[in-house]
Amino acid sequence: MSDKFDAIVIGAGHNGLSAAASLAAHGKSVCVLERADHVGGMASDRMAHLLYNPLPRGVQAQTRQIDTVSLSPDGKHVVLRDGIASYASGDAHPDAKAFKTLHARLVTYAALLNTLAESAPPGLDQGLTSLAGLREMSRLAKLGIGVKRLGKPEMREFLRILLTNVYDLLLDEMPDGPLPGALASDAVRGAFAGPRSPGTVLTLMYRLRNGGSVSLPTGGMGTIADAYANAARKAGADIRCGVGVTGVIVEDDIVLGVTTSDGGKLLAPAVLSSAGPMQTMQMAGIPSFDIEAVRRARNLRAKGTTAKLNIELKGRPEFTGLTKEQSKSRLLIAPSVADVERAFNPAKYGELPSAPSLEIVMPDGQDRLSVIVSHVPENPKSGWTEKERGTLTETVIAAIEAYAPGLRDQIASTDLLTPADIARLTGAPGGHWHHAEMGLDQMLTTRPTVGMARYRFGVRGLYLCGASAHPGGDVTGMPGRNSAAQVLLDGVA
Amino acid sequence: MGQHDRYDAIVAGAGHNGLTTACYLAKAGMKVLVVEKNDWIGGAAVSRSLHEGWTYSNCSYVCSLLRREIVRDLELPRFGLQVIPYEGGASFTRDGDYFAYHSDHDALRREIARHEPRDVDAYDRFSQTVIRQCRFIRPFLLRSAPDPTSFKVRDLQELLYLVKRAHGLGAKELAETLRFWTMSIGDFLDEHFENDLIKAHLAGSGIIGTGLGVYSPGTAYVLLHHYMGDVDGAIGAWGFARGGMGAISKALGDCFEEAGGKIVTGSGVDRFQVEGGKIIGVALENGDEYRAPIVASNMDVKRTFLEHTNARDLPEDFTRAVERFKIRGSSGKLNIALDALPEFPAAPKNASFLRGDLHCSTSLEELERAYDDWKEGQWSSNPYFDMLIPSQIDPTMAPPGKHMMTVFVQYAPYDLLADGKRSAENWTEERKKAFADCVFDKIEEACPDIRQRVVHAEIRTPKDIEREVGLTEGNIFQGELTFDQLLFNRPVPGYANYATPIDGMYLVGSSAHPGGGVMAAPGANAAREILRKLGKTTSKVATAA
Repeated sequence: MSDKFDAIVIGAGHNGLSAAASLAAHGKSVCVLERADHVGGMASDRMAHLLYNPLPRGVQAQTRQIDTVSLSPDGKHVVLRDGIASYASGDAHPDAKAFKTLHARLVTYAALLNTLAESAPPGLDQGLTSLAGLREMSRLAKLGIGVKRLGKPEMREFLRILLTNVYDLLLDEMPDGPLPGALASDAVRGAFAGPRSPGTVLTLMYRLRNGGSVSLPTGGMGTIADAYANAARKAGADIRCGVGVTGVIVEDDIVLGVTTSDGGKLLAPAVLSSAGPMQTMQMAGIPSFDIEAVRRARNLRAKGTTAKLNIELKGRPEFTGLTKEQSKSRLLIAPSVADVERAFNPAKYGELPSAPSLEIVMPDGQDRLSVIVSHVPENPKSGWTEKERGTLTETVIAAIEAYAPGLRDQIASTDLLTPADIARLTGAPGGHWHHAEMGLDQMLTTRPTVGMARYRFGVRGLYLCGASAHPGGDVTGMPGRNSAAQVLLDGVA
Repeated sequence: MGQHDRYDAIVAGAGHNGLTTACYLAKAGMKVLVVEKNDWIGGAAVSRSLHEGWTYSNCSYVCSLLRREIVRDLELPRFGLQVIPYEGGASFTRDGDYFAYHSDHDALRREIARHEPRDVDAYDRFSQTVIRQCRFIRPFLLRSAPDPTSFKVRDLQELLYLVKRAHGLGAKELAETLRFWTMSIGDFLDEHFENDLIKAHLAGSGIIGTGLGVYSPGTAYVLLHHYMGDVDGAIGAWGFARGGMGAISKALGDCFEEAGGKIVTGSGVDRFQVEGGKIIGVALENGDEYRAPIVASNMDVKRTFLEHTNARDLPEDFTRAVERFKIRGSSGKLNIALDALPEFPAAPKNASFLRGDLHCSTSLEELERAYDDWKEGQWSSNPYFDMLIPSQIDPTMAPPGKHMMTVFVQYAPYDLLADGKRSAENWTEERKKAFADCVFDKIEEACPDIRQRVVHAEIRTPKDIEREVGLTEGNIFQGELTFDQLLFNRPVPGYANYATPIDGMYLVGSSAHPGGGVMAAPGANAAREILRKLGKTTSKVATAA
């Protein structure tokens, strides 16, 4: 096997694989190196369970769209499907109309913004006078025209709500309860933010940019990772698992290749890293970077807030007030927007949540509850000892049991992944879902931070291709694909 | 029926913005009337004698943002306005130490080094960024915000001005600016500083007057709102108006009357009178009516349109937009008459920083927790405060040897939670006292003899501020300074140019761009718009270069 490639990709998460597939499809020889002994990174059954976006072209896996049910303490659970809200009992929801209007509006706006996600963030580096600069401006102008075409009232609404918070957006339209609670929890899941934090309308729209439906991979999240890997392999990429990158070789500010954990050395003029900015800097050696860039990477906001609890059961649990079919939906425990905000409070101080908002899914064909627990601090002040792990597990089980009596007796085993565990297992900075907070200050031209936004990463030939790059997290493969496009445009590979 | 006097323009509300508009219009030769519900003028910029011998600036209490272009235009110093800068400030810890914010740069560097050597250079980086951002934003204060949905020449011109300024920053600075505007003050400080106390001292300016916490995105911008002023050209400096904040209103009032204007106090506007979509005048609560083709409301947008304008005179979507305008009371105030200067045992005798703003918050976490209490409808059990003793610099505020102290307290909710219900009515005398006790307990951490020094104290909750000044929910900025309510979104999208759906009616208070603070910019900008509409383009109104 050759030890020389056109490009090397660090990490076989879905973004790394997506970058590799793009490069290979353009005839480049690509090698993907993965520290773990399997592909997928965070796209694994243990860590994730749902898709919020359609799979990119060329990635094939079985998925099915599922409903969302927002559980209500008074038993009047709310079912959400494509912007339609109704009670689980079949009765009409009094706020269904307001919800439908709001949902349609957000989906329209989100689709507009999605045009920005599809390539590198618009930049001004080339000024307004060069051809390249004009091309950048024309992309912005395209968005501007799209916004203008909304019509005056809608454009005004778009500009008003764009940077604001979901708390006000939702409660301006409907009284608090499980319906707005569901949207609020969607807006902040994975984020270090509460519904009152400005910027959460944008994170909600990020969720809704493909219409807002949620799909369950029929064969589990692992099949998605495999699908990404298959697409990359089919294009001709060489994927090597169990081989970590120990360093990026840089000479005279030019990337030459990487050294690997098995003592080997692979050469390539382009190295794409799906690790976080700081880890990538460390691999390439801090002295290779500008001191300001290092400071910025160190200050990156990436506080993981999401834990995963897998509960193996001895049978299918029954949720009060839901039919068997309905309980196979995505179940949310977010009784109100105020409750979601309250759940965020302890995370700010490094404390465990006492009433976290939860997203619960029963994967097809398994007797397992897969639970995403929001607003769990990466490093609680008390540390992650067995005691804290037990407390959190107990909190979550008790919260679900309130809706599924008898759940406790059905539990065979539990597996808790704290943000710290996720960081350890995947290398994601802070165990953060999106590698870097999807805050207004870390988006577009400032993602991950000023001066690093266009995938090029300081040293010639070094690129970022993970979720910390534009457009950000979720299983989309977009950062990887955009990064590969930049590599090809720069002609380094 | 009362009288039926005719004027060229009527200004409803004699706050500093209303008076500024009135001054400009009167100086342009118009016959202008100002009506005010209170028996005194000034709105939230007042000096009140509530205890014999003492003068309280009982709402706003320090001055920096008042645009110097306006001070010059209206020759306010000729009418007695004198702003005296104060030096520095301090944050006290519970264990007898303090962080002193000296205005002398070298002294400040030494003080920072005493707490955390690594923060010394960080502070210079921090202030460079803040000053750069202030420079960028200042010219926009005295301009109307463009409507991005409009194709009118003026809107396009203003939009072009914005784009040109932004482009002039260069790619990197522009990205930096976008980042700064959308960041939280907490994150911004965390990325510069190591020391909790220093961070806490600097964070206050990011949250004062808002319904946001130190970690809410957008609070770094609020910091600018407190840094972009100046006293005699010293950028970011703050000062006391000699004789209290009422001196500003008095100077504006005198300027207005010299220009031939008339002020009627003691009865507020009951109704803005509209006929055929046009404003025709106002009817006062006492039954008097006045006529004018131009009416400017200095009241906040909610009060103006939801309480004193008939709904049938307004488009429904406008009313809806006004209803969801966010104007949240988040602060209270104590105005205290002291029989002597209180002791601060931690500080050196006669330390100059004691004449500045004093605080007792020691970490960002403490500030954020104070915000969490407020979200639930409670006053902060461990509140943030901005405390000053202006009588040390301005002896007119208290009898000889005695002192006056002003304590701005955050957070205090408008709709207080009690017995499971949130309501402004829950602010009973008893709860007001409990609120004040909570603040005094906190002050005692730095100043153990404070309670013995008190001769009289006025306790003001958001409810009191609303009742007296008229600010809805007691919000000091006439509306939250969040993205959805700034620039072309302030007060509501489509009406950022001070005009309203009613022909001839204007909004001139802080609900309009660029927002709150004793800045007078909304008032001046609105006057410019009104004069332009009337074709009086020869009358100059301050515009920033």
